Amino acid sequence: MSNNEFDVIIIGGGITGAGTQRDCAMRGLKTLLIERSDIATGATGRNHGLLHSGARYAVNDPESAQECIKENMILRRIASHCVDPTDGLFISLPEDDLSYQQTFVDACRRAGISAEVIDPELAKRLEPSVNPELTGAVRVPDGSVDPFRLCAANMLDAKLHGGQVRLQTTVTGFIREGDTIRGVHTRNLVTGQEQDYYASVTVNAGGIWGHDIAALAGVTVGMFPAKGALLVFAHRVNNLVINRCRKPSNADILVPGDTVCIIGTTSTRIPFEECDCVAVTPDEVNLLITEGAKMAPSLSATRILRAYAGVRPLVSSDDDPTGRNISRGIVCLDHEERDGLKGFITITGGKLMTYRLMAEIATDAVCRKLNIDKSCETATTPLPGSEEGSYEAVARKIWEKPSMAQKAAAARMGSRATRIQTRNTLDQALICECEEVSVAEVENAIERLDASTLTDLRRRTRIGMGTCQGEFCACRAAGLLAKAHDCIEKERADLADFLQERWKGNFPIGWGDTLREAEYTQWVYKHVLGI
Amino acid sequence: MKFNTVIIGGGLAGLVAGISLQKAGNSTAIISTGQNALHFFSGSFESMEEAPQRVTDLFNKAGIDLHYTPGVRLMPMGTFKKSALSLEDISLFPEPAIGHKALIVSLTGYHDFFCDFLSEGLEKQGMQCRIKLLNLPELEQIEKSPSEMRSVQIARTMDRIWENVVREIRILLRDEDTVILPQVFGLKDASVLSRIRQGIPAQVVFTGTLPPSVPGVRTQMLLKQHYELLGGTYLMGDEATGAHVYDGIVHSVVTHNLGNHFLEADNFILSTGAFFSKGLRSNPFEISEPVFGLDVEQAPDRSDWYNPEFMREQPYMKYGVATDASLRALKDGKPLQNLFVAGSILGETRPELGTGGGLALRSALAAADAILNTTAE
Amino acid sequence: MKLQEYTLSTHNFEECMKCTVCTAYCPVLQVNPLYPGPKQAGPDGERLRLKDPFFFNNALKYCLNCKRCEVSCPSGVQVADLIQAARIKYDKSPIKWRDRMLASTDFMGHLARPVAPIANAVTGLGVTKTMMDAMFKIDHRRTFPKYSGRGFESWMGRHEKEQAAFAEQVAYFHGCYVNYNYPRLGKDLVKVLNALGVGVQLLEKEKCCGVAMINNRMKTEATRNAVHNVKALSKTVDKGLMVLTTSSTCTLTLRNEYPALLGVDNSGVRDFIMMASRFIFERLEKGATLHFKPDYHRKVAYHTPCHMEKLGWGVFSEKLLRMIPGLEFTKLDSACCGIAGTYGFKRENYEASQAIGEPLFAQIRTINPDVVACDCETCKWQIEMSTGYSVMNPISILAEAIETNKD
Repeated sequence: MSNNEFDVIIIGGGITGAGTQRDCAMRGLKTLLIERSDIATGATGRNHGLLHSGARYAVNDPESAQECIKENMILRRIASHCVDPTDGLFISLPEDDLSYQQTFVDACRRAGISAEVIDPELAKRLEPSVNPELTGAVRVPDGSVDPFRLCAANMLDAKLHGGQVRLQTTVTGFIREGDTIRGVHTRNLVTGQEQDYYASVTVNAGGIWGHDIAALAGVTVGMFPAKGALLVFAHRVNNLVINRCRKPSNADILVPGDTVCIIGTTSTRIPFEECDCVAVTPDEVNLLITEGAKMAPSLSATRILRAYAGVRPLVSSDDDPTGRNISRGIVCLDHEERDGLKGFITITGGKLMTYRLMAEIATDAVCRKLNIDKSCETATTPLPGSEEGSYEAVARKIWEKPSMAQKAAAARMGSRATRIQTRNTLDQALICECEEVSVAEVENAIERLDASTLTDLRRRTRIGMGTCQGEFCACRAAGLLAKAHDCIEKERADLADFLQERWKGNFPIGWGDTLREAEYTQWVYKHVLGI
Repeated sequence: MKFNTVIIGGGLAGLVAGISLQKAGNSTAIISTGQNALHFFSGSFESMEEAPQRVTDLFNKAGIDLHYTPGVRLMPMGTFKKSALSLEDISLFPEPAIGHKALIVSLTGYHDFFCDFLSEGLEKQGMQCRIKLLNLPELEQIEKSPSEMRSVQIARTMDRIWENVVREIRILLRDEDTVILPQVFGLKDASVLSRIRQGIPAQVVFTGTLPPSVPGVRTQMLLKQHYELLGGTYLMGDEATGAHVYDGIVHSVVTHNLGNHFLEADNFILSTGAFFSKGLRSNPFEISEPVFGLDVEQAPDRSDWYNPEFMREQPYMKYGVATDASLRALKDGKPLQNLFVAGSILGETRPELGTGGGLALRSALAAADAILNTTAE
Repeated sequence: MKLQEYTLSTHNFEECMKCTVCTAYCPVLQVNPLYPGPKQAGPDGERLRLKDPFFFNNALKYCLNCKRCEVSCPSGVQVADLIQAARIKYDKSPIKWRDRMLASTDFMGHLARPVAPIANAVTGLGVTKTMMDAMFKIDHRRTFPKYSGRGFESWMGRHEKEQAAFAEQVAYFHGCYVNYNYPRLGKDLVKVLNALGVGVQLLEKEKCCGVAMINNRMKTEATRNAVHNVKALSKTVDKGLMVLTTSSTCTLTLRNEYPALLGVDNSGVRDFIMMASRFIFERLEKGATLHFKPDYHRKVAYHTPCHMEKLGWGVFSEKLLRMIPGLEFTKLDSACCGIAGTYGFKRENYEASQAIGEPLFAQIRTINPDVVACDCETCKWQIEMSTGYSVMNPISILAEAIETNKD
């Protein structure tokens, strides 16, 4: 096989694409993943980061609920460094119908989800931030998962299994021979270089943009985009996931994620043209705060860090006359069977929680086409970083007396933190002080995790995700990127882009301390540094 | 306690007003909520296209040399910015051509100074640049805590060992006509700067770092010392929480630390800064002034407060406390007779006074003059 | 309440703008590279500790609790409170015997006072110091405060009637130091207040304010004292009396640390606790008079103790001293002396402690005053030990400068 020939090409660097590449690579296939931007830039990185127990779906969508609890248990094992197994509460408030609780608990049990009704007083002790007016609470095995870390770990494992990744590369067209897709035409969006890649099978894992990719291949996948807005609060107000025990609605999930907590979401259908530039409106912000404060009253006086929105890739099943989709959530389309187009598969629908299952389904389909009979091992093989269990254990194993930054690195990198173990003292200097990210960790992300811009670094290390939103870390990290890539002019533009990207999430909630911080950042960059 | 004037806010505006008043025999107190924006001072007074003698005199008496050289200065990211009135740390040039060859010197492990950006920026202007990192044994102590390698911390050591730095640089220097150094010298005493300049056979350009700003910290310290030497009372770490106002006249100010011991005065100056310094407070509904509840010029709808482009001018930064012609604060449209406003809390409501450092200086002097005039009457 | 009208967070940690000003004013950071600095130890670390107590860093023990980070913070973040609260909450390591001993000023005073001459002789002995260093890691270079044979409380007992004769009364929270080590300060206060026509009484029974216990993570013991003291203070305040103090650290503890670090509600008494210098200044400001000696002369350099700086009340001591005719006043640059209560006594902190204080000591030597004035007893020990200059509380200087009928 030549350099540009692969068994399978995966389009899309979200969690589905990364998971599929990992699965394919682990089954011995030669893989290439193509992503027009960076990892986890679509829906993957724009949700709650909720490790669903499935309870939320138990009443209305038992199939999804069962998938969730199964994957939940798998992720705890294989992705321990991406998962925070906090547990969650489904609370009833005075305005909620408490009788729904029984319906809910019954449905959970049917789906195999442990759902323990607990006394509201106990709920308050377990989660002091919860609305003290609550009338009921059910404890479920919810948690949180870091989608960026999960995506990066899948991709890294794929690479460790021989996979190749091209980021910042867009598919400009398909190489077709009659009724068969033979490969893709691509263009590198940074260098402008065009390149063709060949493969026996191409997997469309483009999320909502899979709609366009399918169209490029001449087939139709009927999707409709639904925008969901979320707010990030500046610290962890809650340590258990808090949900409302009622029919799923707007702004009824509060997830503690790493150093912050996230409230969401809303749901609004938007036209396809808006998928690339979704913005959060003042009405959405107001709704999220109002509803959020009902679950945890202190949110009404907690600093908000950012507002952001993602687009859910929902698939309309009407357009799937073959009826081959495995569940109402996950949709895997073999376009040969469906449209007579050989060598092309679309994997879509689903959710972050079920990415591994989606990848397994897609990889099974790929293997069938390639006549390969290898079973999936992704459910039992830990991701790189998750081999050693808890970050406490990792940190103590690597360092005798780990510093706060070393502990934070162990929490983010898992056992891969050994990669920054031997660096000298100066490399322990913090680039990002809010999230405790060291020089060593940033350099590791540049060298090993394909980070080429500040925003890429943010997804891999959390720089710029903390309270100051990039005030100091942005220019410090820009210095390291400039050195690594030896291209200062590009880095200058990158820095401006990064600050703009941070501001985009700040101004919709620009008041109080967030506005103070914004003024200070303006001052530092414009007047002190002079960009 | 009773004073002639109580000044709320101890930054550049508050200190300049306080010094001017003390010098004129007007007894004052300054209430300062912690340290202030001088800690992020770039070294040049923005929008000061002139150099009023009384400003340079005031600073000179405090032991701070200002120079007035309209031109451009080198910014930390390798760009140039128009400036005129500056601290002695700052080198000003007629145009963005500062020499032919530059030696850019920084320290190993120091991430708050941007050699590569400087070099690229200067090369764009046709300069040749060489970057060298110093590895000084004297910094070993600080290097053990690499995250705390900040400008002020480094300056404490540098002010002891600057002669070694000069020696190292002389060894490194080849045919460069310019040496660029981070502003990590002269924390307490600016004379180190001129001694370094004398010691190196090339022009030395001290260039900014990430905060805290060493020249800024020194300026704050010297102004405060001078103010106290003139008999002023500087209440550090205290916050004005309210005021007693009757019939449009402010009688006293309440502070957090002093509680029911009110600060009485004939006149008051409000120089509490803009948003960062909490002179202006904002919530989703409005922007307000917290001590007196003064009128704040602002757009009523929150979505008009911002420009979605970060680097564009931001409307909220123009908002400020409304004042009458003599800088008296307006409350419900009417001036408070003895409350004058100075500094960045004015936003751009008084464009004729400039912005940034220029606004602070002009408004502080104007407020002090207004008080001295009313007292004289 | 309108949503998002204010931001409220524990010790205001979310108001931190990451501006780094505190790092420029932390005295420990300048001398001890093992200390992560107030920004990292305080608001930055807090977000991680909220995620998981695992992120607690034991190096927080190097914090002096001088509060200079708080005084310098432009955002009102209670940085030192965050650090001390984190130590109390997350540091689960056993408390050393040495720390318990140093922190139990009340208990040690009780033991030592009756045998003061022996105790003083013993603690002054080289062999004792070596032993204490070896056994308890109390630095042998430290000079121990001397114990006084007769406690201030018993002196007051003997003068109860005479004090009760004054029409106007205040209460005095004297603190351990005045009771066990230096009753003279208490007597000086009584002298000055009597000269103003004010009689002095004690609280029903005061206990150590507990500052050293707080700094040594003995929350249970500190809380016990706090609850006791608040009750005793309430009784006095209910009688309509002000409670005066002569120690800035005791005052800060009673007023601020009880609610902030121990969760003990002192709202009923807080505003009635006042440094004596403030009380006396306010009296004089309102027209009361003291008769100063005509020939008094002293060159005084005033050191603002860290906790006085935090209280924001140094101005009262300063203005009071400036009122004394014949007193040549210099204000020292506000800087930490390095002792911070029990901190400087610990062997691991000795070098740092002395290095922190050095700029202050140097300034004192340059000014060469007759006496250094300062409102804190531990600063007094440190400055006297390190410079050889004698240190007096402003109240004692005032007492020395006034004429009373008895004189």
